[in-house]
Amino acid sequence: MKLFTRYNRVNIAVTILAFVLGSIAFFIVLHYILIKQLDDSLRSEKQEIMSYVEQHQELPEIQNTKHQWTVYEYAKPPLMPSYIQSISILKDTKHGKEDEWVRQIIFPVRVDSQDYRITVSKSEEETEDLLQLIILVTVCMIGLILLLNYVVNRRLVTNLWKPFYKTIDSIRAYHSPQQEPLQFSKEKIDEIDLLNESLHKMTENIYRDYYALRSFAENASHEMQTPLAVMRSAIELLLQQQTEWNEQGMHQLFIMENAIQKLSKLHQSLLLLTKLENRQFVLNEEVNIDGITREKLEERNELIAAKQLSLQLSYEPITVFLHQHLAEILISNLLNNAIRYTPSAGEIDIVLHNHTFRISNTAVGGSLDKEKIFQRFYKADIATDGTGLGLAIIREICNTAGFELSYSFHNNMHTFLVVFP
Amino acid sequence: MKLLIVEDEPALNESMRTFLHAADYLCEAVTSYHEAIEKIELYDYDCIILDIMLPGGSGLKLLEYLKKNDKTEGVIIISAKDSLEDKIKGLQMGADDYLTKPFHLSELSVRVAAIIRRKHFQGQSFITAGDISINTEGKTVKVGNHAIDLTLKEYRLLLFFCINKNRVLSKNAIAQHLWGDDMDLADNYDFIYTHIKNIRKKILAVGGDDCIRSVYGAGYKMQVS
Repeated sequence: MKLFTRYNRVNIAVTILAFVLGSIAFFIVLHYILIKQLDDSLRSEKQEIMSYVEQHQELPEIQNTKHQWTVYEYAKPPLMPSYIQSISILKDTKHGKEDEWVRQIIFPVRVDSQDYRITVSKSEEETEDLLQLIILVTVCMIGLILLLNYVVNRRLVTNLWKPFYKTIDSIRAYHSPQQEPLQFSKEKIDEIDLLNESLHKMTENIYRDYYALRSFAENASHEMQTPLAVMRSAIELLLQQQTEWNEQGMHQLFIMENAIQKLSKLHQSLLLLTKLENRQFVLNEEVNIDGITREKLEERNELIAAKQLSLQLSYEPITVFLHQHLAEILISNLLNNAIRYTPSAGEIDIVLHNHTFRISNTAVGGSLDKEKIFQRFYKADIATDGTGLGLAIIREICNTAGFELSYSFHNNMHTFLVVFP
Repeated sequence: MKLLIVEDEPALNESMRTFLHAADYLCEAVTSYHEAIEKIELYDYDCIILDIMLPGGSGLKLLEYLKKNDKTEGVIIISAKDSLEDKIKGLQMGADDYLTKPFHLSELSVRVAAIIRRKHFQGQSFITAGDISINTEGKTVKVGNHAIDLTLKEYRLLLFFCINKNRVLSKNAIAQHLWGDDMDLADNYDFIYTHIKNIRKKILAVGGDDCIRSVYGAGYKMQVS
């Protein structure tokens, strides 16, 4: 729900409630005043009759009007003292008989030792007419005020929110830490300026941190690969002094060589993961997934043959937008994984179809832990020799490129499925 | 053949010099940008082995200098940076090859040999080791007077041995040379053995010397006089 709509809902509800309560209070007060006026005029009628009787020792002549009439009745003691009441009476009108409220003053009078009960009635019709008019005016006022409120708010709020939407658009367009920090022009509203300033500072920090991290990762790579290069070349030189080593010594050198190889590979993988996380690759190259798959399989045919794996490949052309190097790593890692973990004479099925890449291979154990396999350094079998980063890299590439990656286990086959968008 | 090694890490510089010197190259070694410029101004080299990150200036700047002064030295960049952009940039700026640290000295040796072949013989070259002679242009191999037929991998392997003759080549170095970095051999070096067995068979079939030996626990060596 839009802020304005929500604000408007509350605003209108509160306005209506205030007007209704106000109108009720207004009605009660007005009604009270009008009745009081009626009572006052009834009392002055009574006063007139009383003073007439005192002067002339007889009752005045009755002059009834449509709205006021007087009734004299004989009365016997005990006499009720004077009182005022409202009653409803049936009255003939042009529309037939109708209820009508009247206000009456009833008081006793003694003329020539005869007691009379005098009732002076005044119609409340005029009062009601007045009230109806007032209510009508009030309702119209509420309507008018609400309408004006809505129109003015709508225009004003839309205008006030314009700079906010401008800011939102800038944020939407900002999707990479490699981008320059966001710049905003000065607005008339302090809050928006505050927001823009904070965003500018935030993106500036992101930008700085990103480059600091990036250069750290690259420098760290340089600093680590160089000592590895020193060690490797030293070992290679030692290997040449073959005559001075016994077999055991040569083998130890070979083990060291292997360890350097692994360390170097591990480091490259971690660096690649860092680069992927930092979104350092621009994914705008059209790459041919089926072409890469065939090429990478070709490179590995000796491996496949040596393990006597039966390979089934069915493909159709698939092109996706990715980075050539990343596409190669993605396919290589998936193939390496399948070849490495398939037992001898096992089976590997690769299907490229309908914008998906599916690779299945015969399993040695049961299903892998779906939650854990894509974690870094997770190895289902501790004894295996991989870096434990292959699947993490695959997942990170898929995340970066927006591919869906999933693992499933059927009929003793591990299956990895990549769905391209 | 004269080489210039430009590498600021003294131990690595020393190893390269020792290894390449043993392969009958005349090596000069410097550790900074300015020393390198001095050497290049004074002498001509067949090949320069160039680190990118150097005290006093970038190796890329040195490439620019060579280009500006019409120097025709072949250049191999050796860098710790394995980023694609760096590779492309280096090659675009006139480098002939790019090796990522940590590399095998035997691999460096092969790359140097390839550059020198390209620069000096316009691609025509015969490499000999014992009674084996390889024509690198036609990719043909003769043992004595008999031509032998090798697969592409066998050919590359034999060339690797011939250039690094009388050297112990670790299985690792051989595997990386033949299959590159992105393959996962899972420490399975049987493939190398298979290829070497085939090469030896083919050499023996035409009466050549069985010169490739296994060095127990480490790798292989081509022993020729």
